[in-house]
Amino acid sequence: MLHLLQIDLKKMTSYRTFWVICGLYFLTLGFTTASGMEILKWIASKFEDFGSSLNVNRIPLYHFPDIWQNLIWVSGLFKLVLAIMVVISITNEYQYRTLRQNVIDGMSRWEFVLSKVLTNVMLSLMSVGMLLLIIAVTGLIYTPELSAMDMLTGSEFLFAYFLEIFAFLSYALMLGVFVQRSGLTIVLLMLSHMIEAIIKLNLFRESLEPSIGWLKQFFPLESITNLVSLPFPRYAFQEIQDTVSLTAVLIALGWAFLFNYFSYLKLKRADI
Amino acid sequence: MNEVVLSTHQLTKNYGKLCAVNQLNLEVKRGQIFGMLGPNGSGKTTTLGMLMGVTNPSSGSFSWFGEPATHHTRKKIGAVLEHPIFYPYLSGQKNLELNAMIKGADPKNIPKVLKTVDLTLRKDDKYRTYSLGMKQRLAIASALVSDPIILILDEPTNGLDPMGIAEIREIVKRIADDGKTIILASHLLDEVQKVCTQFAVLRKGKLMHSGPVDDVGKGEETVEVMAYHDDLGVLLQEFVGSGLIKKENGVFQVMMKDGFHSQDLNRFLFEKGIVTSHLTTKKKSLEKQFLEILAEAH
Repeated sequence: MLHLLQIDLKKMTSYRTFWVICGLYFLTLGFTTASGMEILKWIASKFEDFGSSLNVNRIPLYHFPDIWQNLIWVSGLFKLVLAIMVVISITNEYQYRTLRQNVIDGMSRWEFVLSKVLTNVMLSLMSVGMLLLIIAVTGLIYTPELSAMDMLTGSEFLFAYFLEIFAFLSYALMLGVFVQRSGLTIVLLMLSHMIEAIIKLNLFRESLEPSIGWLKQFFPLESITNLVSLPFPRYAFQEIQDTVSLTAVLIALGWAFLFNYFSYLKLKRADI
Repeated sequence: MNEVVLSTHQLTKNYGKLCAVNQLNLEVKRGQIFGMLGPNGSGKTTTLGMLMGVTNPSSGSFSWFGEPATHHTRKKIGAVLEHPIFYPYLSGQKNLELNAMIKGADPKNIPKVLKTVDLTLRKDDKYRTYSLGMKQRLAIASALVSDPIILILDEPTNGLDPMGIAEIREIVKRIADDGKTIILASHLLDEVQKVCTQFAVLRKGKLMHSGPVDDVGKGEETVEVMAYHDDLGVLLQEFVGSGLIKKENGVFQVMMKDGFHSQDLNRFLFEKGIVTSHLTTKKKSLEKQFLEILAEAH
């Protein structure tokens, strides 16, 4: 397993595009999540321009346990960047025909898919690690009264975050395996949410909503989004899903498995 | 020495209605240099693709080293199909390191194979900066990196200049001298005749002929003779083994009858008191044989 990961990393670590994209990803991810208070202060200053006031310290954005879901939801927005990197990595193998040479050299098709999946796992874990660090540091700085209980409450979002990234990267990999061209795959990847929304809109007309509306959560991209729901309405005193739902995890796990299985199935049957 | 390393049984590949490879039965033994001949599009690459696991056969089977093939068997084979394939953004060295990782080969072999193909000086340059000849040579290096038992080369001199062709041919011969089995697909007959011991001819996916290169032109020997003697032509007519005699540029071309060879003619002339200044046995060229085989198929 480790050997396969090493092979895929060897392809990547001398590839400048890989460093640029991953560098940009982790930089923007880090800066954005760490500078939430600054953004809040800026919003507050805008409020003052209009004569009203907003006390930023009353919004516990970075307080344990809120910080978990807040930062993780924001981080989820950046996963597209990482997914584009995955698309480039797989479509390059088709474009340069190196997939063919890898198999000729003695890799099985299963090993090839596995090497890509393992890289996805690693990228997901790195995102989780990065976020854990930022949450720990900023949480310790901003939380007025620390208690072990508060700190751990909500940490299950970290697992949901891992699954969110991994499932989405698996989806990107599968798209790459099926489409094989980088430009087209990236466009499809970016439009995926919209395409799924259009399908849902047409499928679940108002009259059907009450009877089969519950099916929506089974849609692949929706299932990924459902893992970590939008936390900010709670500051406008609205009720939110502030825990990780087991159903959402199971559905997303199912899709992550299927995406990778479809990739393997497609590769197994193809003449490459 | 006669161990069979590759055998195919009724190997077939269909692309829709087109039958690219049709019930192919081949056998390659250890130590052979096996030439696969055929016009472009005759199914050579498709066959090799199936043998190397990148093309799924429609029917039939094949075995390497007497066992059904898995990806582990492929690690013992060095193969370059069609044209060199590498990561353009990696250096030659890094590409070979990657190959070695996939094949489970010792990276210590890399300097050696780079030397074999004379790329040591350019090893740290990116692959995309290489000339076509260098790319072909790197491909051979990558095939050699795992010290394979068998080497498969598909049109290794395609698109090269005469110098490049000569270089690759030298490399192939050197590898063959190491006792490796080589399967060489080519449409260049001269190439096959110069390096191969066995050959097979494919046409539209069908095996037309298979046999040793030495057998080419058997039973039909032409001897070129030259001697400083005015009546050489007359004397040659007297020799019982002579068939048709032609004179070209002052050289007599004697077609030998069945069972007669150049040494018989030489002995005859010597007994008549003539010492030849030039005597060569010419076999029918592979090209001629190849065209005949293809013509028979029509």
